[in-house]
Amino acid sequence: MTTKFYLICIFLCGICSIAKAQLPLSTADSLVASGQFLAARVAYERVLFTSAEPIIRFSAAVGKARCLKQQGLYASAVTFLNSQIQTDYADSLLYPLRQEQILCAYLAGQFENTLSLLERLPYLHPGMSATPLLIAVRVLSLNELKRWSEAAVAYRELAAHIQADSVNLNPYQQLPRLKSEKKAQWLSTFIPGAGQLYAGKPGEAALSILVQSAGLYFGVLSYLQGYYLSAWGIGAGLFGSFHAGGVRRAEVLVQELNHKRAAMFNARARQKILEMIK
Amino acid sequence: MTDFRRWLLLFIVGFLTIPAHCQTTTFSREWQFARYLADKEATDEAMSVLQAFDKQLLTVSQRDSLAYLTGWLAYGAKSLGEASDHLLRVSKASPFYTKSQYFGAYCLAFQHKRDSAGAVMQHLPAPDSTLLELRAFERAGLALLQRQYGLYDTLRQQFSYSSYALSAEEKRMDIYWQGLRAQKHRSPALAGLLSAAVPGLGKLYAGKTKQGIAAFLPVLTMGLLAWEGYRKDGPASLRFLGFGSLFTVFYIGNIWGSTLAVKVRRDEFNRGYDNKILFDMHIPLRNLLNR
Repeated sequence: MTTKFYLICIFLCGICSIAKAQLPLSTADSLVASGQFLAARVAYERVLFTSAEPIIRFSAAVGKARCLKQQGLYASAVTFLNSQIQTDYADSLLYPLRQEQILCAYLAGQFENTLSLLERLPYLHPGMSATPLLIAVRVLSLNELKRWSEAAVAYRELAAHIQADSVNLNPYQQLPRLKSEKKAQWLSTFIPGAGQLYAGKPGEAALSILVQSAGLYFGVLSYLQGYYLSAWGIGAGLFGSFHAGGVRRAEVLVQELNHKRAAMFNARARQKILEMIK
Repeated sequence: MTDFRRWLLLFIVGFLTIPAHCQTTTFSREWQFARYLADKEATDEAMSVLQAFDKQLLTVSQRDSLAYLTGWLAYGAKSLGEASDHLLRVSKASPFYTKSQYFGAYCLAFQHKRDSAGAVMQHLPAPDSTLLELRAFERAGLALLQRQYGLYDTLRQQFSYSSYALSAEEKRMDIYWQGLRAQKHRSPALAGLLSAAVPGLGKLYAGKTKQGIAAFLPVLTMGLLAWEGYRKDGPASLRFLGFGSLFTVFYIGNIWGSTLAVKVRRDEFNRGYDNKILFDMHIPLRNLLNR
C-alpha cells in the first residue's frame, strides 16, 4: 500500500515537472500562432534561459529561428542558430539545427556561406545522408553563384536521389548564353553602336551612332570653314565624350543582359527543382 | 494569549513583506534575463523585456539598473540620443554609475552636444588614478573637438603616457592637437580672387588640385571658342554671343565654386580630425569600463 502511494506520488511529480517545463514553450507557440513574433522570440529565449533540458531548449531554438524567418530576419536567424549549435546538443538535435541554418543562410542570400555549411555537414554528421531539400538548396545556391556546371552535377544527384526523370526535366540541358563585356567594349571602341547592338539594344545603338556622327560632322564642318578651335573644342570634344560614354554604356548593357538571362534561368530552374522535391 | 498575539503579529508582518520580496525577486530575474539577452546581442528581445517593467513600482536602485541596461542596449544599437538619455539618469548610488556617466558623456560628445558633454565630463567620477587620467583624457579629447587648444594643453599635463589602456591614444591625441594647430587658414575671398585671375587656381589654393584642373579646362575651352567667334564673326555674331555667355557662366561659377571649395575643404579636414578624436576617445572607455 505504501509502495503504491509513493509510486503514484513520483508519477504525479514527474508529470507535473514535464508540464511545468513545457508551459513556457506552449506559451511561445501560441504567440507564434497569433502572429506576435517578437513576443514569441522573447518567450523562446526565456525557455533557453531557464531550461536545462536539451529537447526543450532545442524546440525553443527551432521556434525562435522560425519566428525570425517569419519576420524576414534570415541573417539574424543564421547568427542565432550559430550560437545554438555551439551548445552541447546530441547529434540527432544538432543535425536539424544545422539544416535549418543552411536554409536560413540561403534565404538570407549568403550563397557562399550556404555552400560552406553544406560542405561541412558530411564531416560533422558522417552517419547522415543529405536530404533532397539540402541537395536542392545546394543546386539553387550554385545557380545563384552562376556555377551552373557544378549545379548540373548536383541536380543529377538530386534527381537520382528522388528517382526523378533527370533527362527530360533537366533545366541544365540549355544553359544561359552570357555575353562578353570585353567584346562589347571592343566592338564599341572600333564601330560606334556595335557594342549596344551586341547587347541587344538596336535603339541605343542607333542613338549612339547618331550623336557620335553629329559630333564628328560638326568637327569636320567647323574645320573646313576655318573654325579650328570649334572643330577641336566642340566637334572632337563631343565625339570623344559620346564615344567613351558609348563604350562604357555597352559594357553596362551587357552586364544587365547577362544578369537578366541568369535570373530568368535561375527562376525557371528553381521552379522545376521545387516541384521535384515537393 | 500573549503568545498567540505575538505569532499573529509575526504572521501579519511576514504576510505583508511577501509582495515586496516577490517584486524584488521578479525584477532581479527579469533583469538578469534582459542582461543575458543583451550579452547575446538580442537587442530587440532585451528591449522588449525591459519595456515590460512598470517603473512606478520599482525602487530607486531598480530604476537605476533599468536605466543603465536600456541605455547600454541603445548604445549597442547606435541610438546614441536614447543611450545618453538613459545612461545619464543612473544615480550615484548605483554600481553602474561610473560606467554610465563616462559612456553617457561620450554619447553626448558624439552627437555634437559638446557643451552638455563638457558639463557631464567635469563631474565624472574618478575614484582612482586610472580613472582620474581617463577623465582628463576624455576632457582633453572634448577640448580638441571644441578646438580649445589652451584647455587641451592644460589637461594633457595629466597624461602619464605610460598607462596600458591610454598611452597609445594619448600619443595620438597629441598628434591630432599638433595637426589641428598646424591647419592653414585659407580665405574664401582670396580663393575667389585667385580663380578670377586664373580659373581653377582658387581650388588649387583650397587644396582641391584635381578640381582646379577640371575647372580650368572648360573655362579655357569656352574662352577660346568665344575668342574665335569674336575674331572671325564679330561681336554681334551668334557664335560669339553664345560662347561668350557660356564662358561667363563657367567663369563666374568657377569663382563661386572656389570660395565654396575653401569651406568644403575646411569641413572635410575638421570632420576627419573629429572622427579620429572620437574614435580614440572611445577605445579606453571600452578597455577600462566595459566589464
